[in-house]
Amino acid sequence: MASRLPTALPRRPTTSTLSTFNTLAPQTTSSSIIPTLQQTQTRNATLIKRPKRPYAFTQVIQLSDGSTFTMRTCSPHSLYKSTKDTRNHVMWNPSEKSLKNIEVDEAGKLAAFRERYGRGWDAQAPEVQDGGEEAQAAAAGGAAGKKDGKKDDKAAANASFENKFDSSYDPLGDLISQYAVGVPEDKGAKVAKPKK
Amino acid sequence: MALREVPRSARQLLQQPSAWKPSVASLSRCASTEAGPAVPDVETESGLMTPVVERKGISIMDPRKRASRREHELPHSRYRYHPPKYDRGPLHPIQPPPSSDPVARNFTPGPFNLPRLKQTYHSTIASDILTLTYQHKPPGTPRSPSGYDSRGPRGAEVLLPLEPDLNYHNIPALKAVHVAMYTPQAKKNPDHITVAKTIMQTISGVRPTVTHTRQSVSQWSIVKGDRTGVKVTMQGNQAYEFLDKVIHLVFPKIKEWKGIKGTTGDGAGNLAFGLEPQEMMHFPEVEANYSSYPQKMIPGCRIFVETTAKSDRHARLLFGAMGIPFYGKLVD
Repeated sequence: MASRLPTALPRRPTTSTLSTFNTLAPQTTSSSIIPTLQQTQTRNATLIKRPKRPYAFTQVIQLSDGSTFTMRTCSPHSLYKSTKDTRNHVMWNPSEKSLKNIEVDEAGKLAAFRERYGRGWDAQAPEVQDGGEEAQAAAAGGAAGKKDGKKDDKAAANASFENKFDSSYDPLGDLISQYAVGVPEDKGAKVAKPKK
Repeated sequence: MALREVPRSARQLLQQPSAWKPSVASLSRCASTEAGPAVPDVETESGLMTPVVERKGISIMDPRKRASRREHELPHSRYRYHPPKYDRGPLHPIQPPPSSDPVARNFTPGPFNLPRLKQTYHSTIASDILTLTYQHKPPGTPRSPSGYDSRGPRGAEVLLPLEPDLNYHNIPALKAVHVAMYTPQAKKNPDHITVAKTIMQTISGVRPTVTHTRQSVSQWSIVKGDRTGVKVTMQGNQAYEFLDKVIHLVFPKIKEWKGIKGTTGDGAGNLAFGLEPQEMMHFPEVEANYSSYPQKMIPGCRIFVETTAKSDRHARLLFGAMGIPFYGKLVD
């Protein structure tokens, strides 16, 4: 009995091709047996691995404005004090004036330079687009307080641009006053964005 | 009746309260006139006021003494239940316990904190995105004029998903963060792999895996099968914490950082960005022991953020709400 059983018989014949193989063609050559054997399902045992987890400490993180929160990290320090983060960065606080670059002129050297050579070398000077000497003259006029008659609106735009660097400049108040007066829209747009 | 003898105000008290009978003004108590007992919405007792537990204050019996006094021996650890080492399929009579079971081999102890970014996402970001992208459709609006979906012809080699209207059930969320480091110098000096693995594990909290070169390029002197990189995948809370760390602690420390390139994205809602080798020291974990790493071997990394958004536009909305700025041309 045992010798008549096919030795290469799969343990769990599941497919229909296998049943036909068993009943109809038991004495075929090995070339026809091999493809049927490849169709049998196998479920190998898979190792259940123990996960490798690095130790996680609970760390208190203090941001630059003093706010704290906890975080799970690999760092063994219990407290991390941040000096620079989103709370004191200009990109995340665009309206914060204290974070912007404001020139420090305690000795008055910059003021003396400007008195002698004008404001043409300023980094934040109005952009020179129409004509170099024209814009410079307008800028100097805005700084000194004298205005040319024919370049009236341009000088006004420059003056408003420079006013932004004063501490008392209030853009919202300016906007409100414009609307209160009832300035036509094209002029209002010019004043609102002098840099183009 | 005896009720007649008691004064009028007390009679009101004795009777059954009725909705139809207005009570006497002197006895009624309006909610507006008098507030109830003050309910403090902030706990008055600080957690710092709890008494400090000293070691001598704890009464623990000597475990050795307790074991010697025990009458019966405890059962041997052989009698404990050990979960099977192998998973042999769903039809096998021996089944491993689920991974949530503490005795399971693949058990990972649960969340120990609520990540800040995750909390922010669920409290504000999700509802913000839903409000921003709300598109009102009056009831009865046909789904599409042609009756078919708005997908173009199926000629492209990559068929990208369509951008669906955002609804309460498909708000873009963070799915996973993949971090990869490439160190081709590791062929000459395998220490590069060690350094990269260490840094990767400290910044991510996950054991990294080593990647291999896929293709041989003779000009770059790389051979297929070399160990030249390290990668890591974070999901769930770890992904949120990593992104929180990158956004709030690493990005602001980078000099002259403009934001993430607007052209990033694979078209299916997964955005990516990179960090230079000199920017890796801004991670708090690397900063903690920066001097112990060989400085020239610290590699940069590429970070791929996988979101559930179906388009880059929606993923960019999520990034913007989480606090990541973009620069340059935005490609959606």
